[in-house]
Amino acid sequence: MTSPGLSGLKLLIVDDEVEFLEPMSARLTRRQIQCATAENGLQALERLAAQTFDCAVVDVKMPGMDGLDLLRRMRHDYPATPVILLTGHASVELGVQGIELGAFEYLMKPVDLDELLDTVRRAVKGSRV
Amino acid sequence: MSAEGHPPPGGGSPGGAAVNPYRRLRSQMVQVLLAFGLLPLVAMGVAGFVANRDGVETRTRNVLEAMIKNRRVTVEFFLEETMRQLALIATALPVSELGKAEVLAGLRDAARREHSAIVDLGLIAEDGRHLAYVGPYKLGGVNYSGEAWFQQVMLRGRSESNVFLGFRRFPHMVMAVKKREGGRDWILRATIDTDILSALVREGGLESGADVFILNRLGEYQTRYSDEHRLMERADLGPIPLHSGVRVLEQRRGGKNEFVATAWLKGDAWVLVARQEVPGGAMLLFAHPIVIVVFLLGLLSIPALSVLIARHRLRQIRSLEEERGALYEQVTQSQKMAAIGRLAAGVAHEINNPLAVILAQVGVLADLIEDGDFSDPAALKERVKKIQAQVERGRKVTHRLLGFSRRVGPELEPVNVIAALDETVSFVEKEVEAQQIRVVRDYGDDVPIIRSSLSQMQQVFLNLINNAVDAMGAGGKVRLSARRTDNPAGVEVQIQDSGPGIAEKDLARIFEPFFSTKSEGKPHSGLGLSICQEISRHLGARISVRSRLGEGTIFTLWFPLEPEPS
Repeated sequence: MTSPGLSGLKLLIVDDEVEFLEPMSARLTRRQIQCATAENGLQALERLAAQTFDCAVVDVKMPGMDGLDLLRRMRHDYPATPVILLTGHASVELGVQGIELGAFEYLMKPVDLDELLDTVRRAVKGSRV
Repeated sequence: MSAEGHPPPGGGSPGGAAVNPYRRLRSQMVQVLLAFGLLPLVAMGVAGFVANRDGVETRTRNVLEAMIKNRRVTVEFFLEETMRQLALIATALPVSELGKAEVLAGLRDAARREHSAIVDLGLIAEDGRHLAYVGPYKLGGVNYSGEAWFQQVMLRGRSESNVFLGFRRFPHMVMAVKKREGGRDWILRATIDTDILSALVREGGLESGADVFILNRLGEYQTRYSDEHRLMERADLGPIPLHSGVRVLEQRRGGKNEFVATAWLKGDAWVLVARQEVPGGAMLLFAHPIVIVVFLLGLLSIPALSVLIARHRLRQIRSLEEERGALYEQVTQSQKMAAIGRLAAGVAHEINNPLAVILAQVGVLADLIEDGDFSDPAALKERVKKIQAQVERGRKVTHRLLGFSRRVGPELEPVNVIAALDETVSFVEKEVEAQQIRVVRDYGDDVPIIRSSLSQMQQVFLNLINNAVDAMGAGGKVRLSARRTDNPAGVEVQIQDSGPGIAEKDLARIFEPFFSTKSEGKPHSGLGLSICQEISRHLGARISVRSRLGEGTIFTLWFPLEPEPS
């Protein structure tokens, strides 16, 4: 099974919720998406240093380096990689802050996979334009 | 620098269990009002009584003194005038005339018409023989040569006797003058009406009620002031020493105080005496009836007014207390709702994360079903288990939230303080972690289970932990400690932050409602700590704070093993 326009895409998912990473990774892989995961900001930076990603889905609330810090670093070090913020924290202020820092979109957990992929598609498309 | 939350005065617990304190308050108010009303009244009454007594005494003394001065002039004038009349007669008429009874009778009658006190007249030869006499007694032929007054008149030319019995065997006084004619001495003698003299003397005391009389040097009555004594009787005053002017003494007589005023008459043979009781007791009280009426009205009305005022004030206090209680309920509830609102974002994270995991796992299952891939039932089962675990995780969060949002109430239950602290921290742990704030727990091994209200206790903890997190911003450390205390028995909880601390000027005010040190940008009601203080009071707990700029802040709570019934 493939998702139109996303096959072969390299996606990084960053979330401290380990239980979330595994099934997401399984579902994305099934859709021909090359999925890498990181449990925190530092791990994410390691992954980013090791390979190029087309898009990153980043949880906001994480211990240590949180999603917003990671976003700042990525906008600086990997400006070509769009970032989609994903969080369970229902705070409008956080969303606004994320967009201001350069996130492509801000999504609330639990997010439907199709909605996520649609956003990823738009993000990748936008970055390629 | 430290501060303690002082509970506001009064303040019954919700549920109106404060009947006894009101009764006690009313009794105290009545006592204070009575004291404030009656003490000045009684003090003024006593002071007024003393001042009045002193005034009346001084006035009585002055009146007595003035009266006796006046009376002395009158009596001296009377005696002088009578003596002058006698001398005039003796000078004006020759012995040949004075020796005639009819001439003497004419003279006596003329004197009586002029209201003179002369009762009888007699002419006496130098050898003491009574030559002529006109009067009510049989005194013809009597020889006076042995009488004291006779000796005196022969020596000094005139004589005023004391009252004596004489030949008449009746108390009387005699005035006599000597006349020289034909180379021989002659004496004109008159008896003075002691009743007229007595009346003249007594008259002085009529207005003031004083007894006024004359005593001789031996202290014998020379005039009468009432029927209770007789002339020539010894008065109970004792011999009165000679003195000039008027002397007023105060002495006890028959259980009462009296003033005795004395003035010696010219010649120092007689002393004029006035004695008057010192006014006192009831007489003084009733000297000014209006004062008594006002005093009694005060005495009767002050207790009644005290009770009425105390009742009225108590009603006001009670009504204010009730309003305050209702307001407290509202504010506590709304503050709690605000805290919950603030929590909602954090709680959403707590619930949304398991939901996201569930959705992902369900998605995997759906994918497998779509693929018809049931080759690994164990893996499928594992995924279902994981879904169940996440459902349980979400359930716990909602359960905790529901438990926390229970209505504020005084329900007491056994509370594990450490568990309560940990559960409260769990609400904000994500935010705490996100802000790189470290939570350090320092719990004693023997912290006892206490009776308290879990939800109220957690509201206090949550407020204090939120404050600590807000104070520190990113980074820092929150230290939570709990330990048992033995004297008094209970549990002490400390919530310590490594924030910037509180300025000394603010520290004293932080428990005041609507006072806040938080910046305008952060949401706050300014009620958090005042509510913590109120709740602590309800739980019989104590709250205090220590802080130093640059060194952080420590809030210390102490909970009793069991709150004292309010």
